[in-house]
Amino acid sequence: MTQKLSADMQEIKIATDVLVIGGGYTGVKTANEIAGLGYRAILVENGTEIGNQTAPWRMLGLPEANQKGIAELIEKAGSNGQIEVMTQTRLVEAAGVTGDFSVGLQSADETVTRKVGAIVVATDASVEPLNAAYDLELSDTVIAQSALDSMIASNADNLSGKTVAILAGFGQEGNPLVMERVFRSVLALQQLDCTVYVYVNNLKVAEDCLERLYLQSRDAGAIYFKLEKAPAVSQANGSLGISFQDPVMRQEMQLNPDVIVIEEGIQADQLNVELAGLLRIDLGPQGFLQTDNVHRFPVQSNREGIFVTGFSREIKKLTGTFVDADNAALEVKKLLGDGIITAPVNKAVVDTGKCTICLTCYRCCPHGAIYWEGDKAVISPVACQGCGICASECPMNAIQIADFSDETVMDSILENLKDSSEEPQIVAFCCQNSALEAAQMATDFNLPLPAGLKLIKVPCAGKVDIDFIMSAFAEGADGVLVLTCHDKNCKSERGNLYAGWRVSDAQRMMEEAGLEKERLRHATIASNMGSDFSAIVVDMSNKLGELGLSPIKK
Amino acid sequence: MSTERKKTMVVGGGIAGLTAAWELARQGVDVELVEKSPFLGGYAIQFSCKAKAGECQQCGACSVEKMLKNVVEEPNITVHLGTSVEKITGSGPFTASLAQAPAYIDPEKCTNCGVCYEKCPEKDAILRGYSKNNAPLYAIDGEKLPLIEAFAKDACPEGAISIDAQGQAFEISADAVVMATGFKPFDATIKGTYGYGKFSNVITGMDLERIKRENGTVVRPTDGKCPDKIAFIQCVGSRDERLGNLWCSKVCCPYALRTAQTIKDKAPESDISVFYMDIQNTGNNFPAFYESCKSEFRFVRNIPVDIYPLENDRVSMRYMNEEAGEAVIEEFDLVVLSHGIMPGADNPSLAELFGIELNDDGFIRGTDELNKTLTSKAGIFVAGTAEGPKTIATSMAHAGQSAREAVKYVGGA
Repeated sequence: MTQKLSADMQEIKIATDVLVIGGGYTGVKTANEIAGLGYRAILVENGTEIGNQTAPWRMLGLPEANQKGIAELIEKAGSNGQIEVMTQTRLVEAAGVTGDFSVGLQSADETVTRKVGAIVVATDASVEPLNAAYDLELSDTVIAQSALDSMIASNADNLSGKTVAILAGFGQEGNPLVMERVFRSVLALQQLDCTVYVYVNNLKVAEDCLERLYLQSRDAGAIYFKLEKAPAVSQANGSLGISFQDPVMRQEMQLNPDVIVIEEGIQADQLNVELAGLLRIDLGPQGFLQTDNVHRFPVQSNREGIFVTGFSREIKKLTGTFVDADNAALEVKKLLGDGIITAPVNKAVVDTGKCTICLTCYRCCPHGAIYWEGDKAVISPVACQGCGICASECPMNAIQIADFSDETVMDSILENLKDSSEEPQIVAFCCQNSALEAAQMATDFNLPLPAGLKLIKVPCAGKVDIDFIMSAFAEGADGVLVLTCHDKNCKSERGNLYAGWRVSDAQRMMEEAGLEKERLRHATIASNMGSDFSAIVVDMSNKLGELGLSPIKK
Repeated sequence: MSTERKKTMVVGGGIAGLTAAWELARQGVDVELVEKSPFLGGYAIQFSCKAKAGECQQCGACSVEKMLKNVVEEPNITVHLGTSVEKITGSGPFTASLAQAPAYIDPEKCTNCGVCYEKCPEKDAILRGYSKNNAPLYAIDGEKLPLIEAFAKDACPEGAISIDAQGQAFEISADAVVMATGFKPFDATIKGTYGYGKFSNVITGMDLERIKRENGTVVRPTDGKCPDKIAFIQCVGSRDERLGNLWCSKVCCPYALRTAQTIKDKAPESDISVFYMDIQNTGNNFPAFYESCKSEFRFVRNIPVDIYPLENDRVSMRYMNEEAGEAVIEEFDLVVLSHGIMPGADNPSLAELFGIELNDDGFIRGTDELNKTLTSKAGIFVAGTAEGPKTIATSMAHAGQSAREAVKYVGGA
C-alpha cells in the first residue's frame, strides 16, 4: 500500500475563453452573457449565419420589445469584439479537461485549434411534420403547422371562413411548446372566421399562460376533442374526412374539413449524438445532452466545465432556455473566476511505477478527468471529482484518492471494529452523498438503529473495494452493507453500479469460502430518507440475528 | 469594480431562496436570508424520495436537503429564522426592518436529542423540522408556549430552552433583494364535496408526502395500514374555472404519478386509479414513464363529483363513467387529492410592503417575458414559485437566474 497522501493545494492557471456551440437564440444569448462577464466567447454555428433558428416560431407570442431585444442580441454578438463568431463551422475535436480544453473547429477552408476553459452546448432541435404517423401525405389541404403559420402570416385571406381541423399529440407525446403553437394558431384562425376543431390527446398546459390561451380559444368557439387515440383520417380524391368516437356525445362522428393541419414534432438535434462522443458527455433519454440525474440541475453535464443549455437538454419555451443561458453564465463565472483555479495537489495520484497504461481508468472515469501523457495516466486535479471509481477499478492498484486512500479506509475499518461490545457488528459502507446523510438523519430523528452498527464513509460507493468488504469480515464484522445512491442519482453516474457489481462478486467469493452471502447486502438510498436507512439496517440486524455471529470471527 | 463587498437580502428559505442565497454567496456577495418560519426548506424539504425499485425518478427532493446543507455551512450567508420583514425603505441600498420571534431553543446548546418534543404534553406546541441540518431541529410555537410553560422550563437536559427569550427588532441594509416567498398549497377544504378535513382517509398530496417521509411508505391515517385501493384526483384547485384558478400547477402530475409508482413498488398488489383531465409531462423520459404508468394504474379521464365516508373506514366516490355515460359509485381505502400551487397568502401585503406588482393570478409579476426574475421595481428580483408554479428543478434554475440578475445589479459582475 502506498504512503499516506498529503492534500496541499496548488494554483493552476487556466484558459478563460469559452466555446459556445450553436448559434441559435440560446447560443447567442449565452455568448452575450459570457462576453458581459469579461471572457471571450467563440460562437460556433453550423449554418451560414447566427440567430437563424430552425424554429423561428419560438418568438411566437413574445411581446414586440422582446423580439426586438433578441434581434439586438444577434446584432451585438456579431459586432462585439469579445465574441468571435464562426459560421459554417463545426467542432471536430475536443481534447483536454476543464480549464484547458483544446478544441478543433472546422470550417470549409481550414481547421483551427483553440484553447478554451469551458464549453457551453446550445444546440437547436429538429422540427418535422408528423403526417406519416397519421398516414397522410402533405398537400394543398393537408398542411403542416409551419405551413399554417406562414399562411396566417402572409396569405391569410385564403383561409378565411374555412373549416380547419388540427391534429396534435398523437404522432408524438406532446409538449407545451407544440400546444402553444396550436392555441395561438387557433386564435388567429378564429380572427379569420374559421371554424376550428382540435383533436388532441393530453392537452399539455404545464407552461405559463397556456391554460388561459386554451380557455380563450375555446370560449371563442374552437371545439376540442380529447381522444385517447388518433381519429381515422382520409384524404382520398382531395376530399378530407375525419371520423371518430366523440367521448362526450358517445357517438360516431364524421367531419369534412377544408384544411387539416398536422402537428410538428420536436426532437433533439441529431448533432447531439456526435457532440456527446466528441465531448465525452453522456447522452440522456431521447437524444438530449443531459442524463436524468438530479446532480446535473440545471445546466451541468457529467464533465466539469462542459455545460448544456436550452434545447440541447430539453424542449421548452424561449423564456426557459434564457434561464439556462443565465445559469450557464453563472457556472462559467464560478469556474473561470480570474483565470486561476485552486485545486489540491494530490486529489488523486497515479503511481507511475505501477501504471501500465491499460486505460481502465480513462474508460471508467465518469467525469472525463483522466488522460495520458507519454507513458502514464494523468488525473486532472481540476476535473477530478474525487469519486474514486478509477482507484477501485485499476487492476494494478496504482491510483490513490487523497482523502480516501486504501490505507485510510482500511484504518477506519479496523478502528471501527475494535470495539466489539455490541453484536452483531454491522459495517455499513456509506456514500457520503446519500447513505451517510440518511444515517445522520436517522440518528437525529431518533429512529431505531442497531447498537453494533459502524459507519464507514466513502466518497462514492464506487470506491468500495472488494478488499474493503472482505477485510471487514476478516476483522470481525458479522454483516456488511454497501449503501449507495439510487440508480440515476449517483453524482458520479455509475459509482453505485460498480458497487453493485462488486457486491455480487464478493458474494460469490463468500459462498466459495463457506460464508453465507446474506451477510453482505447492497441497497440504495436517498440522503433525505432517514426512515429508509433505519429500515435497511434494522432488517440487516434481524437477518444476522437469524444467521448468528460470523463463523470467521477471530 | 469596487472591492467593497456587496450584500443582498433573500426573503424566504424554501428551495428557491436557498438556491438564490447559495449562488449569490458563491459569486462573492454576502447574503442575509430571512425566513419567517423556524425552519428552512419550505414545502420542498417536506417531500419524500420517489425512487422506484432503487431507481431515482428525478423528483429533486434530495436536492433540497443538499442545498439546505450548503447554505447552513456557507459563512457568507447569515440565516435569520422566525423572522419577517416589517418595513423596507430606500432603493439599493435598501434598509429593511426585521422582526425576529423569540428563539426559545438555543441552537448552540440544543443537541437534537428530541426529549422536549417527545415528552411535550401539548400537541404541536413543540415542532420538529424536516432537515437534520436545520439548527435547531426543534422549535417552540410561541402561541402555545403559555400552555406548556411549566413543562418547557425544565424539559431540556442541556438547558437549551429559555422560556423568557425575547424577540428582537433590527435593521439590515441590502444592495438588492430576492423575493423567494414561495407558494401556498391549495386549501382542499374549499372543494367541499371531497370531504377533506372531515374524512381522515381523504388526504392531500402534501399529507401523503409527510406520511411517506415518516413511515418510509404510505399508510392509511385511520389504521396505519397499507391501503389496497387508492385513488388520486388530479387538478384539485388548479385549472379550475369556477374558482378562477386558470393555471396548471405543473407539479401535480409528476408528484402523483411518481408517488403512485413508489406505492406500487412497495406494495405490488395495490390497486391505483388516477382521475385526470390531461396528464402533463414529467421530463425527457416521459413517454417511457407514461407507458409504464399506464400498465400499472387505471387512468380515468374524469374529475370525480363527490366523496362519502363508509362505516369500514373506506370512502365511496361518485364520478361519471364516460363509456357508459352514467354516474358510478366506487369504493376506495384512500383518496389522495393532488392539490395545486396557489399564490402565497402574504403576496398582497408583500407587494404593498416592497412596492412590487402581482400578476393576474396573484403571483409576483415577472415583468420581462424573457426574464421572469425582474419585478416592477429595480433592485428587487423574484425567484421560484413566488412568481408562478414551478417544479423543484425549475425553481432552482429560476433562482440561479435571479441570483445572477442581483449580482449584475449590485455591480458584482
